Amino acid sequence: MFGLIGHSTSFEDAKRKASMLGFDHIADGDLDVWCTAPPQLVENVEVKSATGISIEGSYIDSCFVPEMLSRFKTARRKVLNAMELAQKKGINITALGGFTSIIFENFNLLQHKQIRNTSLEWERFTTGNTHTAWVICKQLEINAPRIGIDLKKATVAVIGATGDIGSAVCRWLINKTGISELLMVARQQEPLALLQKELDGGTVTSLNEALPKADIVVWVASMPKTIEIDTDNLKKPCLMIDGGYPKNLDEKFQGENIHVLKGGIVEFFNDIGWNMMELAEMQNPQREMFACFAEAMILEFEKCHTNFSWGRNNISLEKMEFIGAASLKHGFSAIGLDKQPNVLTV
Amino acid sequence: MHNELKITDMQTLESNKKTTEESSNPISLNLPDFTTDTYKDAYSRINAIVIEGEQEAHDNYISIATLIPNELEELTKLARMEMKHKKGFTACGRNLGVVADMEFAKKFFSKLHGNFQVALERGNLTTCLLIQAILIEAFAISAYNVYIRVADPFAKKITEGVVKDEYLHLNYGQEWLKENLSTCKEELMVANKVNLPLIKKMLDEVADDASVLAMDREELMEEFMIAYQDTLMEIGLDNREIARMAMAAIV
Repeated sequence: MFGLIGHSTSFEDAKRKASMLGFDHIADGDLDVWCTAPPQLVENVEVKSATGISIEGSYIDSCFVPEMLSRFKTARRKVLNAMELAQKKGINITALGGFTSIIFENFNLLQHKQIRNTSLEWERFTTGNTHTAWVICKQLEINAPRIGIDLKKATVAVIGATGDIGSAVCRWLINKTGISELLMVARQQEPLALLQKELDGGTVTSLNEALPKADIVVWVASMPKTIEIDTDNLKKPCLMIDGGYPKNLDEKFQGENIHVLKGGIVEFFNDIGWNMMELAEMQNPQREMFACFAEAMILEFEKCHTNFSWGRNNISLEKMEFIGAASLKHGFSAIGLDKQPNVLTV
Repeated sequence: MHNELKITDMQTLESNKKTTEESSNPISLNLPDFTTDTYKDAYSRINAIVIEGEQEAHDNYISIATLIPNELEELTKLARMEMKHKKGFTACGRNLGVVADMEFAKKFFSKLHGNFQVALERGNLTTCLLIQAILIEAFAISAYNVYIRVADPFAKKITEGVVKDEYLHLNYGQEWLKENLSTCKEELMVANKVNLPLIKKMLDEVADDASVLAMDREELMEEFMIAYQDTLMEIGLDNREIARMAMAAIV
C-alpha cells in the first residue's frame, strides 16, 4: 500500500470539496471547525504500472488549509494526525504532499514521534523530494532546447538553492548537464557558501543580479504575492520552472518569450480512476500528479519500503538516478511545455 | 519597486519569525506552574470531573450488564478497572493538595447521566453503549491524551496507564455495535443526535479551566473527533454516515 497526504489549496476550496465528498459537517463549518477536524481517508485506488504490476493506495486529506499556517500548533497537529492515520491503516510508504512536508521539516516534527497510542515509524514516510528534484532537472533538460536555449551555453539560476530540492537540483546541474553557469540564490548565506564548497562550482548571487543573467530560472522557494518583476529585464527566451509550492509563478511572469513550466509535475501513461488530483487542480487529473506523490507509488512498485527522501540535503545523484530510472520504467514522465495551454509565447 | 527586490522579502514559512520561535520550543517545555492558586482552583473542577466520570463509568458498565447478562463477567471487569482509575485520579488531586469539587462534577454530568438512566429504564442498550462506550470514553481519551502532554510528572504516569485501559473500553462498545449494526443503526443515529451536542457543551463548559491547565480547547475537540470518528469507522459506518453524525457537534 502507498499513501498520499494532501490538502486543499485554500479554505474556500476545501469547503467546496468537502461538500462534494459529502463531508457536510466540516463543509458547513468555519475555520475553527476545520482546525478541529480529523484527517480523512478520502479515496482508495488501484494503480497498474507500465510493467504490469498492480498496487493499492489511499489518499488522505489532512484537513490542513494554508490559512492555518500562522497557527503553528494546529498545523503541526494536522500533519502528525494525518501521518498517524496513514500508519494505522497499515500503509507502507506515504508521501507528504504540498505544505505537509514543509511543515514537517520547518516545525521540526521529528521530535513528535509518539501520537496517542501510535509511535510513528519514519521509514513509512517520504517527502518525495528526490523524485521532485529529478523531475525538475529533466523538465529543464528537455524543455530548454525546445525553446531555443542551448544548455551548453545556458546560465541557470536556482532560487532557493540551499533547500532540500534546490540543493539536489544544483548538484545535478553541475554534475550531469554541462550547463555554462550556475547562479545560486538563497536567503541564508552560510548554507550557500557550504553548498558552493561541496559542489566546487556555482556562483552565489542575489535575486536581482541573477534574474537578468539567467536563461533558465528554477524556483524552489515560494513567491510572496507582493513581489513584482520587471519582465523587460529578463533574457528572451527564458524558461521559468515553477518548482515551489504553491505554484503561482505564471501570475508573475507574463510576456513574450517567457515560458513558465509547472515544475515537479509528472504524467502517468494511463488513466488512474481517482478523483484526488481533480482536487489538486491538475490539468489532466486522471494522469497528472505531484512528483512527490508519484515517489510513494514508485517506491511501492519497487517494494522499496523506506523513507527514501528524508531530512535535508540527503539527496545524492545516485538516489536521483535510481528514482528517475524507476519512474520511467513504471510509466511516469515529466510534463513539458506543450502541456501548458497558458504558456505565453509570441 | 521591482528594483528593490530581494530574496529576503520572501515570506515563506522559514522566514515567519513567530513560527520559528514557537517551533524551537517543544511543547513539553511549556508546562504550567502546578503550584499556583489559579492552577489548583481550575484543577479542583477538572479533577472532580475526571473522578466523577470514572465513577459514572463504573456504574454505567454495571447497569449495562443488566441488559446483557451474558456479558456480566466482562463488564464487571471493566467496571473494576474504572474504579482503579478513579483511585488513581483521586491520588493526582491529593498529590497537588487539591480538593475536588464533586458537586460541580455531578452537575456537569447530570444531563448525560439522566439520558443514560432513561435509556437504561427503557432497555435501549444501543443508546446506553453510545453514551458510555463511545461518547464518554472518547471524551475521556481525548482529554487524557491532551492532559498527558501538560500534566505534572505524577499525574502523567497515572494518566498514561489509564489511557491504555480506556482504549480497551472503547473497543468493547465498538465490538457489540459492530456485530449488531444492522439492527441498531437507527437508534444509534437518534441517540447520537441527542447526546453528541451535550458533549460539545460539556467541552465548552470546561474550556476555560482546561486552558489554565494548558489544555487547548481546539486540541481537545480535535482529539475527541478523532476518537469518535475512529470508533464509528470501526463499527462499520461509512464516511457519509459519520459526517452526518458528526454534524450534530457543530449545530
